[in-house]
Amino acid sequence: MNKLQSLIEKSNMKLKLISALGLGAVLGLGNPAWSQDDYSSLSQLNSRLQSVAKSGSAELQTLTKTEGGKDIWVLRLGKGDHRNKPAIAVTGGVEGYHLLGVELAVQFAENIIQENESVLDNTTFYIFPNMSPDAYEQYFSSVKYERRGNAAKIDHDRDGQIGEDHFDDLNRDGMITMMRVESPMGDHKISSEHEQLMVKADRSKGERGTHLYLTEGIDNDKDGQFNEDPEQGIAFNKNLTYKFPAFEPLAGDIPVSQPETRALLDFLFERNNIFAFVTFGPANNLSSPMSYNAGDAKKRVVTSMLEKDVELNKMISSIYKESTSLEAYQQDNKGTAGDFFQWAYFHFGRLSFSTPGWWIPEMKKDGNGNYQSKEANFMAWAEEEGLDDVFVDWNEVDHPDFPGQKVEVGGVKPFVMYNPPMGMVPEIASEHTEFIIKLAEIQPSLEFHNLKTEKLNNGLTRITVDLYNNSPLPTHSEMGAKSRWFQKIRIDSNKEKEDLVSGDKIKLIDSLGAFEKKTLSYIVKGSGSFEVKAGAPHTGIATLEVKL
Amino acid sequence: MKMKKYICALAAGALFSISAPTKVDAQEKFFRAIGTPHQPKVEVAWNRYYTYEGLNEVMRKIADAHPDLARMESIGKSHEGRDIYLLTISDFKTGDPDRKPAMYIDGNIHSNEIQGAEFSLYTAWYLTEMFDDLDFIKELLQDKTFYIAPTINPDARNNYMLEANTAHSPRSGMIMLDSDGDGEVGEDGFDDLNEDGHITMMIRKSPTGRYIKDQRDPRKLIMVSAEEKGEYEMLGYEGIDRDGDGQVNEDGVGYYDPNRDWGWNWQPDYVQRGAYKYPFSLPENRAVMEFVMDHPNIAGAQSYHNYGGMILRGPGAEEDKDTYNREDVRIYDAIAKKGEEIIPGYRYLVVYKDMYSVFGGELDWFYGGRGVYTYSNELMTSYLYFHKNAGRGNQDEEMDVDRYLTFGDAFVNWEEYDHPQFGKIEIGGFKKNFGRAHPGFLLEQDAHRNMAFTIYHAYHTPKLSVMDVKEKDLGRGMKEVTATIYNERMMPTHSSQDLKYNIERPDYITISGPEVIAGMVVENEDFNKVEEQVNNPERIAVKNIPGMEAVKVRWIVSGGRKYSIDVDSAKGGKASWSSDQK
Repeated sequence: MNKLQSLIEKSNMKLKLISALGLGAVLGLGNPAWSQDDYSSLSQLNSRLQSVAKSGSAELQTLTKTEGGKDIWVLRLGKGDHRNKPAIAVTGGVEGYHLLGVELAVQFAENIIQENESVLDNTTFYIFPNMSPDAYEQYFSSVKYERRGNAAKIDHDRDGQIGEDHFDDLNRDGMITMMRVESPMGDHKISSEHEQLMVKADRSKGERGTHLYLTEGIDNDKDGQFNEDPEQGIAFNKNLTYKFPAFEPLAGDIPVSQPETRALLDFLFERNNIFAFVTFGPANNLSSPMSYNAGDAKKRVVTSMLEKDVELNKMISSIYKESTSLEAYQQDNKGTAGDFFQWAYFHFGRLSFSTPGWWIPEMKKDGNGNYQSKEANFMAWAEEEGLDDVFVDWNEVDHPDFPGQKVEVGGVKPFVMYNPPMGMVPEIASEHTEFIIKLAEIQPSLEFHNLKTEKLNNGLTRITVDLYNNSPLPTHSEMGAKSRWFQKIRIDSNKEKEDLVSGDKIKLIDSLGAFEKKTLSYIVKGSGSFEVKAGAPHTGIATLEVKL
Repeated sequence: MKMKKYICALAAGALFSISAPTKVDAQEKFFRAIGTPHQPKVEVAWNRYYTYEGLNEVMRKIADAHPDLARMESIGKSHEGRDIYLLTISDFKTGDPDRKPAMYIDGNIHSNEIQGAEFSLYTAWYLTEMFDDLDFIKELLQDKTFYIAPTINPDARNNYMLEANTAHSPRSGMIMLDSDGDGEVGEDGFDDLNEDGHITMMIRKSPTGRYIKDQRDPRKLIMVSAEEKGEYEMLGYEGIDRDGDGQVNEDGVGYYDPNRDWGWNWQPDYVQRGAYKYPFSLPENRAVMEFVMDHPNIAGAQSYHNYGGMILRGPGAEEDKDTYNREDVRIYDAIAKKGEEIIPGYRYLVVYKDMYSVFGGELDWFYGGRGVYTYSNELMTSYLYFHKNAGRGNQDEEMDVDRYLTFGDAFVNWEEYDHPQFGKIEIGGFKKNFGRAHPGFLLEQDAHRNMAFTIYHAYHTPKLSVMDVKEKDLGRGMKEVTATIYNERMMPTHSSQDLKYNIERPDYITISGPEVIAGMVVENEDFNKVEEQVNNPERIAVKNIPGMEAVKVRWIVSGGRKYSIDVDSAKGGKASWSSDQK
């Protein structure tokens, strides 16, 4: 029995158990993650979030509504003075077709509240489960396609008309796949790796194409292009400021133009306790870390992660690999123009980590080599797992734009290459939850050590103490130290200036490195208690009290 | 005709009897000066500055006095909730102002750079008051629209004027930020210790000071030579250490720069000091952006700053130098070089080369993001004082100005003050409204000249006409109709930047009446080189109509003897032709 089947088996057993419990699942008493056999619809997600929010340590808030009228939720998990505890932002749904990311974010929240609430003693979490609800819904629609854009009306091909050339479900199977047109002018041919797949002919090697290979649809506006202006709006993961691809399809004219993008950023700028981001999206700097490029790091507009931060990325990456079981394969997306994960680092100065959570593992051909195409690798994997519902067989259709030509519709079904069968998700989710908890455990942490008090003459006392960052992470990443949106470490003493013979009433420190200390020294007049408070919201506040 | 005008003037005189003299009075008391509205319906003094409320009052008066030429609207709210008002100036009787090629003008984005508001307002006033007097202005407002927002930073304009400030503050808007990173916002700004409404300098007698007062002019502080002993030390701008951190004035209003907030190649604060959270995260700029996005007819734009006597174009950032290509620079050069002639003392410069390299500026978004030819003028130059080029902030010249031209009005004389932290000090120095701001007697002239520059700019936004329509009989009831569409001005309907990204839709040329068999763009009439448009041939889409050039389109039609041709361009406006008018 392979892994997938065993997972399905496990999930079925759980299902039976819940059925036996009757209304338990409906009332949200069971663990709802186990009760699913498919990804949650938006309304199912909403009720799962609401059920998490019943906990006293959670608060669910809507940041705004999208153009499509959907809520953008933030779920805060935290206890006590949660605004002054170091926080991690966990984000899902940065791409609308990536349902797994939403599921991972929600299951993380469910896990913390149900099984790991003590993490909240020291750490706060802001969970943005779904940044692309308009696009997410396409998975549940009558015509499914891998959608990125929200519901805004956008002229993607910038010809003055909006959404005039959308996909068309020519074979009426409820999904948009590919179409191939037999033509000597085509630049694609049948793959030698898999007879159902098409690959680009390598004309530089003298290969001939046999087919045009296009997305399923009609050239509705007769401009010679197919489906170049679909009925969808702006993609969240292409609308942020870092390397914003102005005027590209799905990006729009200006960055941060959408209600959900603005609402999220406005919220984040008010949460100065966030020290790190974990984003579930297509980019991956966890299975393999970012690399350092001195030239790009030293330009005025910085486009390489800074040197010390690359070292941190390596360390966090090794923690990730300890927690998760899937080996990196073809994980070459280190960020794309206008995306969220890079924004969090380059424009917000926080440690930023991203992972798709799951990808197609490496498969070997019979002859032991790797597959050239990702689709062929996927087909081999699906076959091994016994998944037989991942491909639409090629079937001929009548196509008005290609009279007299053989046109077939088919191909890999949408979503299946980015979203594993639900049976696999609980294990993926628990591994990622474990990783985020480990990340929280090493958060910056300020402590006072080595306190010394010496009585001097005439009622003066000298106090010496080390302020220590007991963490393998610095209080400020190298990038964070440059950002005005990151508070410095502030050290306050309770004595008035007149009573401080030496030492500052208020002192600011730019940052403390990993396991670095800073010795503070005061000469204080008089008696009573002398108190020192040190920290910033993203490091937590350490306090010291000395009786004079 | 003359009689009618006379009656109108009388009627208007009655309506505005308090502010405007009657015709009879005017004949007796005044003699017309060329270049200035003689009997304006709205009397405005152009030798003083206006608060936000003052600006609104003048705008309201202009809109009320000229209902067919001026309209006032709020385009959004500032951080503190003030309306940002904009005047639309055009001849409303000759077409929808939002469909005419338009010039957008704003001022005061930097709150301490105040006179841009008065210059903008002067433009609205002049255009409306001269409409009846001058054929040129009448035609201009028939063809064009001016959108004028005198201040796009109203909160901090009033703060600059009504609260104690230096000549350089606040510059930002009124959002308070944590400038020193201590977790508190705006906790240690200036303090107007001598309560004169100006933040001037603090000096203190000190044996280790490096300054002395000039014997010939004790207002002037001069540095002693390396071997000499000084008498005074500088303590900076007026203030106290309010939060007890050992620093004075380290966290006041802001600080951020509204002119680093615009969405073309925007960069965050650590790259571009002064940037706020993300492009258009400042409500005032967002209001302008939304207005501009809603008004694709804006073809030219002007923003007013101070100071130094400059006509600036982008790129702001060196990294953007390839954005401005040769065809567009040619047009920028032609307009701005005329500007240098119109405004003596002003030089035409490129921001990144001649000033500093900066991201997120307004002019870069207007051009890079919308394809609109845009200048920023740095108003006021010391050249206007004595027609010498002494440069910005030349203390000697400024002292002379205050001695011979303003007679002591510009300077707060040194006076002793007991400072709670520094002990006995002296406070004094130039007032906030000297240096950057024009003295009153220079204001009107420079406003007029800068306005003349924007009029030249607006005049050269595209003007389209159907120049010529030719018919050729093709037999069997078919004919070929060839129309020539001419752009009578310097600017194309689409700048090169616009064409590069297809920012604005194409221009449409539509024939209505006959049945259209085929439609095409004629690339070369002499040799019959044409490009057919298969889809929707009645409405030919042309990418651009270049300045001072023509495009030709052709239809093969049948039936219908009468027909008309309509040109519809976002930035070029509309034009039409009808077979009836042949």
